[in-house]
Amino acid sequence: MKLNLIGLLFGIGFGGVLAASNLHEYDTIHAMLRLDEFDVFWFMASAIAVSAPLLWLLERRQIHTPFGGELALSRSKPEKHHVQGGALFGVGWAIAGTCPAPALVMVSSGALLGLVAIPGIFLGLHLRERQSKTVGHVGDGEHRETVVVPG
Amino acid sequence: MVDLLPDRLAWYVGGPLLGLLIVGLFAIANQPLGASGAYVQTSGLLRRMPNVVTWRVWYFVGMFVGGVLVTQVLREGAEIRSGYDALRNVFPLWAVVPLVFGGATLLGYGAAVAGGCTSGHGMCGTAQRSPASLTVTATFMATAVLTTLALRIVTGGEL
Repeated sequence: MKLNLIGLLFGIGFGGVLAASNLHEYDTIHAMLRLDEFDVFWFMASAIAVSAPLLWLLERRQIHTPFGGELALSRSKPEKHHVQGGALFGVGWAIAGTCPAPALVMVSSGALLGLVAIPGIFLGLHLRERQSKTVGHVGDGEHRETVVVPG
Repeated sequence: MVDLLPDRLAWYVGGPLLGLLIVGLFAIANQPLGASGAYVQTSGLLRRMPNVVTWRVWYFVGMFVGGVLVTQVLREGAEIRSGYDALRNVFPLWAVVPLVFGGATLLGYGAAVAGGCTSGHGMCGTAQRSPASLTVTATFMATAVLTTLALRIVTGGEL
C-alpha cells in the first residue's frame, strides 16, 4: 500500500518536472532533435550527472532499500534487440515528438493530440507483447521484479 | 490559479531535480523511474491481467496528476488546444492525426523491443552505467536526429 503512495508521489514529481521544463510540447522535442536548441540534451545530461555518482555511492555502501531489498543496479550487456528497439523507438520519437511520460503530461496540459499519442503507445507495446508473450517483462530500461517487503 | 511557474524551468534546475527523483526511487524501492513499464502495467490492469504491479499504475496516474498540477494550477494559460504547433503549420489535421498515432505506435513497439524508453534506458539506465542502456540511448538519439533531418528534407525545410 505504501509503495502505491510512493509510486503516485514519484509520478507527480516526474510529471511535474517534465511539465515545468515544457518537455510535453512537441515544439520543444522537435527543436531539440533539429539540433536548434540544446536545453533538453543538457537537461538529460545534468539529470545523469547528478544521479550517476549518487547511485554509485549508494551501491558501494550496499544500502538496504525499504521496499526493494538490497540495492542492485543493472549492467546488462548490449544485445541485438537493444539496437533494433532503440532504432525503431528513435524514429517514432522523432515523428510523434513525444515519448511515454511526456505524452501523459501533454494531455494534462490540454493538448488534445496527446489523446492520439497515448493509445498509439499502448498499441505499440501491446503488439510486441503479443509477439513475444513476455507479459509484464518489458519496460523500465533495466527491468527487475518488485520485491515487496511487508510494512 | 496562481502563476508561480510562468516560464519554462531552466535545464540546470529541472535536470538535477529529475536526477534526485531517479536516485530517490532507487534508494526507496530499488526500481528505475521508467515510464514505459507504467504503461505495460496500466494496460495489464485495464485488461484484467494477473500479476499487475499496482504501484506502477499509481505512478502512471501520478505522471498525469503532476502535469495537471504544473500546467493547470501553478501556471496560467494552459487551455484546450490541439498541440503540435510546428507539425500543424506544415501538415493539415487529417495528416497530423495518423502521423502522431503511427509515430507513437512505432515508439511504443520500439520501447518494448528495447526494454525501455527515454526514462528507463536514457536516464535511469545510463545513470546506472549499463552498457545495454547506453547502446539503446545512442541508437535512438541517432535515429531520431536522422529522422528529423529526413522530415526536414522531405518538407523542403518547413518542418
